[in-house]
Amino acid sequence: MRKLVHFFLAIILVSAVLFYTVSELNNSEGYSGRNTLTIYNWGDYIDPQLIKRFEKENGIKVIYETFDSNEAMLTKIEQGGTTYDIAIPSEYMIDKMRKEHLLIPLDHSKLPNLHYIDKRFMDLPFDEDNKYSVPYFWGTVGIVYNPKMLGGKKITSWNDLWDPGLRNKILLIDGAREVMGMGLNSIGYSLNDTNHAHLQKAKRKLDTLTPNIKGIVGDESRLLLENEEASIGLVWSGVASEIMSENKNLEYAVPKEGSNLWFDNMVIPKTAKNKKAAHKFINFMLDPKIAAKNAEYVNYSTPNKKALSYMPKETVNDERFYPSPQLTEKLEVYQNLGKKNLAYYNELFLEFKMHRK
Amino acid sequence: MSRIFLVLIFLILYAPIFFLVFYSFNSGGTMYGFKGFTLDWYKELFQDSRLLIIVLNTLVIALLSSLFATIIGIFGALGIHSMKKRQTKNTLLSLNNVLIVSPDVIIGASFLILFTMAGVKLGMFSVLLSHIAFSIPIVVLMVLPKLSEMSPTLIDAARDLGASRWNVLTKVVLPYITPGIFAGFFMALTYSLDDFAVTFFVTGNGFTTLSVEIYSLARRGISLNVNALSTLLFLFTLVLVVVYYFISQRNKPNGWGVKK
Repeated sequence: MRKLVHFFLAIILVSAVLFYTVSELNNSEGYSGRNTLTIYNWGDYIDPQLIKRFEKENGIKVIYETFDSNEAMLTKIEQGGTTYDIAIPSEYMIDKMRKEHLLIPLDHSKLPNLHYIDKRFMDLPFDEDNKYSVPYFWGTVGIVYNPKMLGGKKITSWNDLWDPGLRNKILLIDGAREVMGMGLNSIGYSLNDTNHAHLQKAKRKLDTLTPNIKGIVGDESRLLLENEEASIGLVWSGVASEIMSENKNLEYAVPKEGSNLWFDNMVIPKTAKNKKAAHKFINFMLDPKIAAKNAEYVNYSTPNKKALSYMPKETVNDERFYPSPQLTEKLEVYQNLGKKNLAYYNELFLEFKMHRK
Repeated sequence: MSRIFLVLIFLILYAPIFFLVFYSFNSGGTMYGFKGFTLDWYKELFQDSRLLIIVLNTLVIALLSSLFATIIGIFGALGIHSMKKRQTKNTLLSLNNVLIVSPDVIIGASFLILFTMAGVKLGMFSVLLSHIAFSIPIVVLMVLPKLSEMSPTLIDAARDLGASRWNVLTKVVLPYITPGIFAGFFMALTYSLDDFAVTFFVTGNGFTTLSVEIYSLARRGISLNVNALSTLLFLFTLVLVVVYYFISQRNKPNGWGVKK
């Protein structure tokens, strides 16, 4: 008995010491003050130095938490037990959160830097007038390929993928919108098309691609492409820039027929405790110099037009990640198709997945 | 032959861990292509106070939750053991086992719903409570065999010799089942350390544990300081196992003797 009591006391003592260390660390980082700002962002999606700078300039302490999917973030915010002041979801989730009244309208008078954002990226269908959200990063869906493994072949359009020479080489994303969008775009329809005849046609076109498909995969496509176990992959541009920084042989192309344009936007959830600081932070991130620094750290494309002038020429002129205006004209943001149409997309995608060579 | 098989199994089981440890010293920055030895990732790890806070949080939660779970679990096991009716005993035991085998995701989701309805703010407290809750059945399961192993005549003898109920508990029963208690404690500790599914639902407001943090880091490719961290944690658990081994060696019941 005595041994047990001693053991338990020792555990309590150790916990107390650890707990004390944690609170000391928190104090030294300034996390315990009243004037804090809680940010909920994707993992490794901001330059940590910028957070330090914001803290220093405004005397506001930042608590930074991360999530790994829009759905996980939604659950935490919906549930209401959290106090996030800023979250950074993707466009389709913003539309959903807005409809579920989970967001607070932004006070544009407190965001003087908003005019630096490229007009092309404002007033988009998922949030007209940018009432609830401000663009953070943007990108496209495109094709990563390995010219070395393809004998120097260049890929510029969706239809290049149907080349019989690419047998068993292509990795697709396991996403109905992405793959169906590719099918629709390749025959000249909008990727938000809901006409059943058009969708059927796109699906039949995709079926003829089957011999060229190596696999329909999730996140593992990143490793397969990096390690040269596959030579072509349908990916998001953000993923592409990461893979390409690991393997210099890879190339990225936004197909000339058009593709998807995606956004991660800053929003203020209704759970926010410190709206003033949240606006301050959003405005801070909209500052061209700050946005440029962040874009260089994260390696995604910034929607901040002025920021481009502070970034290296070769990044900004890289048409793979900052496509020309002619091409961006053709890029489309996913619209919310409604439950019925989305179900039809999923059904067709499932049929396509089951199609045999 | 069987020995070779055993060695092979252990090699396969440990290979990924050693692979991970090996690359935590890679100056190249990726998990393939070893470029040279470096301790940079460890240095970076200790400079990252956010990650350090998360590690310490994880440890505090693990220690405290397994402590409380052990204490509650002991009484749970005593309760189940003392049931006179066989049927009630079996029912209680089955209910306990159901909690162990039910999927973590479901347990986590139900905690989230419960805390929301009860108005508990997500954070350290909610994580601690849920860890205690899912550890209790494990402790019960580890302590029960020791109790049933104990001869009932031992208690009768103590009672005959004039021991009070309290004396019987503290001087006879608890010392006898101490190995089971330790086993339960350490099991609960490892469960709490690596639990992701339940914790994922109940973290919030600036409080996270390591498993949840690593999971969200993984989306953009894991930096090697996560390898460094995993190495340190692996060593930590190794030390725990060794400590547990020595404790259990010292506590080996020698015959019928009752220890103080």
